[in-house]
Amino acid sequence: MAGMKTATGDYIDSSWELRVFVGEEDPEAESVTLRVTGESHIGGVLLKVVEEIKRKQDWSDHAIWWEQKRQWLLQTHWTLDKYGILADARLFFGPQHRPIILRLPNRRALRLRASFSQPLFQAVAAICRLISIRHPEELSLLRAPEKKEKKKKEKEPEEELYDLTKVVLAGGVAPALFRGMPAHFSDSAHTEACYHMLSRPQPPPDPLLLQRLPRPSSLLDKTQLHNRWLDSSRCLMQQGIKAGDMLWLRFKYYSFFDLDPKTDPVRLTQLYEQARWDLLLEETDCTEEEMMVFAALQYHINKLSQSGEVGEPTGTDRGLDDLDAALNNLEVKLEGSASTDVLDNLTTIPELKDHLRIFRPRKLTLKGYRQHWVVFKETTLSYYKSQDEAPGDPIQQLNLKGCEVVPDVNVSGQKFCIKLLVPSPEGMSEIYLRCQDEKQYAHWMAGCRLASKGRTMADSSYTSEVQAILAFLSLQRTGGGGSGNHPQGPDASAEGLNPYGLVAPRFQRKFKAKQLTPRILEAHQNVAQLSLSEAQLRFIQAWQSLPDFGISYVVVRFKGSRKDEILGIANNRLIRIDLAVGDVVKTWRFNNMRQWNVNWDIRQVAIEFDEHINVAFSCVSASCRIVHEYIGGYIFLSTRERARGEELDEDLFLQLTGGHEAF
Amino acid sequence: MGESNEDIDQMFSNLLGEMDLLTQSLGVDTLPPPDPKPPRAEFNYSVGFKDLNESLNALEDQDLDALMADLVADISEAEQRTIQAQKESCQNQHHPASLEVPDFSGAAALGYGASVAAVSVGQYEDDLPPPPADPMLDLPLPPPPPEPLSQEEEAAQAKADKIKLALEKLKEAKVKKLVVRVHMNDNSTKSLMVDERQLARDVLDNLFEKTHCDCNVDWCLYEIYTELQIERIFEDHENVVEVLSDWTRDTENKVLFLEKEEKYAVFKNPQNFYLDNKGKKEGKETNEKMNAKNKESLLEESFCGTSIIVPELEGALYLKEDGKKSWKRRYFLLRASGIYYVPKGKTKTSRDLACFIQFENVNIYYGIQCKMKYKAPTDYCFVLKHPQIQKESQYIKYLCCDDARTLNQWVMGIRIAKYGKTLYDNYQRAMARAGLASRWTNLGTVSAGPPAPPAPPATGLKIGTTQANGQIPQAAHSVSAVLEEAQRHAEATKDKKPALGNHEPGAPRTHQLPKSSLPPPPPLRRSSDFCSSPKTCPRAKGPGGGFPAPPDDSLPPPPPPPPLEDDQLPPPPPDFNDAPPDFVPPPPPSFAGDAGSPLPPPPPPPPAPAPEAAKPPALGVKRPPVPPKRKENPAPPGGGGSGEQDFMSDLMKALQKKRGNIS
Repeated sequence: MAGMKTATGDYIDSSWELRVFVGEEDPEAESVTLRVTGESHIGGVLLKVVEEIKRKQDWSDHAIWWEQKRQWLLQTHWTLDKYGILADARLFFGPQHRPIILRLPNRRALRLRASFSQPLFQAVAAICRLISIRHPEELSLLRAPEKKEKKKKEKEPEEELYDLTKVVLAGGVAPALFRGMPAHFSDSAHTEACYHMLSRPQPPPDPLLLQRLPRPSSLLDKTQLHNRWLDSSRCLMQQGIKAGDMLWLRFKYYSFFDLDPKTDPVRLTQLYEQARWDLLLEETDCTEEEMMVFAALQYHINKLSQSGEVGEPTGTDRGLDDLDAALNNLEVKLEGSASTDVLDNLTTIPELKDHLRIFRPRKLTLKGYRQHWVVFKETTLSYYKSQDEAPGDPIQQLNLKGCEVVPDVNVSGQKFCIKLLVPSPEGMSEIYLRCQDEKQYAHWMAGCRLASKGRTMADSSYTSEVQAILAFLSLQRTGGGGSGNHPQGPDASAEGLNPYGLVAPRFQRKFKAKQLTPRILEAHQNVAQLSLSEAQLRFIQAWQSLPDFGISYVVVRFKGSRKDEILGIANNRLIRIDLAVGDVVKTWRFNNMRQWNVNWDIRQVAIEFDEHINVAFSCVSASCRIVHEYIGGYIFLSTRERARGEELDEDLFLQLTGGHEAF
Repeated sequence: MGESNEDIDQMFSNLLGEMDLLTQSLGVDTLPPPDPKPPRAEFNYSVGFKDLNESLNALEDQDLDALMADLVADISEAEQRTIQAQKESCQNQHHPASLEVPDFSGAAALGYGASVAAVSVGQYEDDLPPPPADPMLDLPLPPPPPEPLSQEEEAAQAKADKIKLALEKLKEAKVKKLVVRVHMNDNSTKSLMVDERQLARDVLDNLFEKTHCDCNVDWCLYEIYTELQIERIFEDHENVVEVLSDWTRDTENKVLFLEKEEKYAVFKNPQNFYLDNKGKKEGKETNEKMNAKNKESLLEESFCGTSIIVPELEGALYLKEDGKKSWKRRYFLLRASGIYYVPKGKTKTSRDLACFIQFENVNIYYGIQCKMKYKAPTDYCFVLKHPQIQKESQYIKYLCCDDARTLNQWVMGIRIAKYGKTLYDNYQRAMARAGLASRWTNLGTVSAGPPAPPAPPATGLKIGTTQANGQIPQAAHSVSAVLEEAQRHAEATKDKKPALGNHEPGAPRTHQLPKSSLPPPPPLRRSSDFCSSPKTCPRAKGPGGGFPAPPDDSLPPPPPPPPLEDDQLPPPPPDFNDAPPDFVPPPPPSFAGDAGSPLPPPPPPPPAPAPEAAKPPALGVKRPPVPPKRKENPAPPGGGGSGEQDFMSDLMKALQKKRGNIS
């Protein structure tokens, strides 16, 4: 090969010396010097480098990075000439996969090896395969925000870092399931823990932390995030990412395809987490009522994941319940035991009877609560003056079907009231039941709730409903005290859970904890029967139903306009928004889009819609590459329905989102 | 299956028809024939009747109850005997489809009928494979045959079904039924038996059969509160009995059967609701046409995602102040979670919004003449109230829009927010139903053209025509088979418009109706059919109208319970089959029910035998095929029919006479 010498030591061929540094880009790195010619193939060079290093090691992942050109030399059959490499090229012989720290949507950090040489799109796909998230095209990586110089050098608590760098995936094959998780997670206790972190929702954040984290105060703030997206058509190395850097993994495109709780535990959980943080950090605004529902769902999800009820509860299907009951019934019958008992059990509906204090607000009465003998049977509540009169006619009888049940509870004040708004042809009648203690309250409350849905206490969900109410009350006992640091109750899972951790900070300011808890409790009653994945799905759906959901904001300046405006990019449309007021000025739908062009020199995006509507704007807050990629990405995602079940069309994606390399 | 139920229903309506006649003939002077008051009561047929008849009715109620008891007893006996037959024939249920009768010349009609016969035989054959897939012969499943199951699954399934059946039987005893008087467009009424499991969709299908309307998607049940001056469309998935149970006993509320284009307006022109630029454009412009493809993608986007999208809707509305006749203008916004308003001095950002109402416990109604009644600023009002409230109350919320367009947007928007995807499902089902009907008409009009029926059946056609009489039953049969098949097809493919070309039956085959198990309809019934053509003798509508064909039959995907329920009521024993003609019933209201058509002229004297001889085939096809009964006697229809004919005509004459007396 190259390096023919004369006796005097002069080289007589056209060979020259090529210096290759070994290792990642480090000026101090050891280097080897090879004698090469312009015709040397990259493959040959690699071989020589390995020979020179004289170290036994698996070099298969290594490749040469050309620093000046910011380019990997991956075509081993290309010659140095073809690449245009001369003696002054700074080449680094290093691994293509390097560890990075991913900040997951659930805000936990995960160390893993990512490809530094493939286009980001592929690298993300590989990461998603590793952590078993389907549809990687919806996700992408962001640079971590630059840390501001800390004013106070307080020590951040050491964060638990999950490590998946050692896990190697067999290529090409979908990971098999083993012990309820992808097989590569079941190797060690550590990876198993990692899988649990990925697939189970995290506990609510510390409210204080929540208040400290930066929140957008205006639309302008919301545009900040989007200039940090990495370019999906270039590799990490080209984008200046170094080994060990922190990157954020996020769902970038708000178009979630084929979300399936059964096959997507990690995806669902991470999406839920992203939605939750999105709401807690006020990236997406919601109303008070909506926040209470979100809080109740979070509480419920947390409770389920803490108690380990990850699997789908089997008892949720009411039809199955009936079946079970019937099966039992049949069995008993076959055994010939006293079938009357069974029938009795089957037909008798449990009832509640007790002394309760009742208050009926009426005009011109100042009467307070009065003790009554109350009987609650099926869905009907009857009350009598005293127990002795019970066989007779009640003072009043109320059918609770369709009524509104509102808790009116203050644990510290030992007030356990149930407010009922009972509909009648004449309107709603209001009635308050006051219970003596938590236990009584929980039973009556559960009965009322079921009755309002037309079900009786014979319903299988009755006991779990009672439990849920008790658990929630204990939450209030701890959380309602203000600081929430005085665990008293026996129920550990509810301990220390502060309702403030479930709502966005502005509601923390607006409500006291003891005001918040009953409202969350009220919202909770509608979701208490959901399973973990159902609840997560419900959360995501409610999030998706918000008017501001899924809009990525960019500051742009429209052609012909003198002021900056906001461009909102959603999965189906572009929105022109007034920067100062926040009003929608105009909406264009992707459906009507004919084509779009990017002028990379003047950073301008030009879009043509049907009926010769032309729009052009230059991008201010983010590069026009990011806007371009968003638009192309959404267009790509909208093609998925047609190509259902097929392999991801990566080329199409890169075609739609890339393209600027040519310039 | 379904037939047994149907039989009972039919007998009931026959009974009722009889009663109607009786009561009417008794209350000659006090009652104007079309009694506007809607009846509703359990087996109480006469709520709307005047005092004079009360006692009589009470008496008859008891009789009715007794009769019902007898019926049920007999049926359960018969069940044992007929179960075998039922096993085989259960899949062959029929769809008495009602359609607008196209105007044919006699000859054309003849050919038409025959061609349908031929074609549909092929269809039917084609349809045969699925039923065998239904392995549990003793437990007929709903028409869409289940996917093939493994042995164990089958066994388990069979067991489960048995148990369910048993449970259903237990429940059956308690099934509540209402006789509902439905008001037609032309001020006539029809009385229907509605059982508590029936949804509005079922009732609509039932009415389609009775009225021969065009079955388009705009047909709806419509609820009118005369006293409150509010009204609304029944959603197709609503349980009719449940809604009616909220009415008070002496209510003047009515149920109407009419076309309302508002019902599914959003699915016909989604752009009017989703792409309306907040009234900035002029009405005309916003009504711009949108091509079908864009509409579809817009609908898909809005209704088929992980969560549905509620139209963005906001604007100033007038709100009636509680208990006063004054109206306040406020800025309202619609969100998936409810209606919100902008409090004074606040902005319309999510965080400032105050919740006005959530939809869980309220229904949406149109307010009628609120301008008069409540001094509303305009007549475009909508009303939100708890379904149980029947009287004026402060809990009823009145809102008033500036124009009709806004009103429709709000009402539709609220329905979307309240019902979500269910609304879309309802629509698709309605479309399938309408498509079926139009296909039917197409089949008819097409007989000359080069239509779907493939060539070979055409030869069958000739045979059919030549043997007219002999073929009739088959024609009737196969027609219903076509419908059934089409329905299944529509359901299976979720095809929104089962187009003609959609049903390429395989190779046309010979007639292979499972005669053994499903003999042609009994002569007796047929004869009644013949005279039941609306044209020839209006009276005969009685039998047609009197059959409340079980909705399960005509519905592509029967909700699980009803089919099961049907099974347990086997076809009535033979003796009952003779019964219906005895009761031939036609309450005068029912024959005026041809939707939209003016009241038929006074019935001409029944041309009793003539129709049978002259145009049997046409008639057999033209009118909704009567559900063929499984009878053990496949006697030649001609003979049996004519034998019965005299009896029928006698009866008819008697009835004519009676009616003559009344009017």
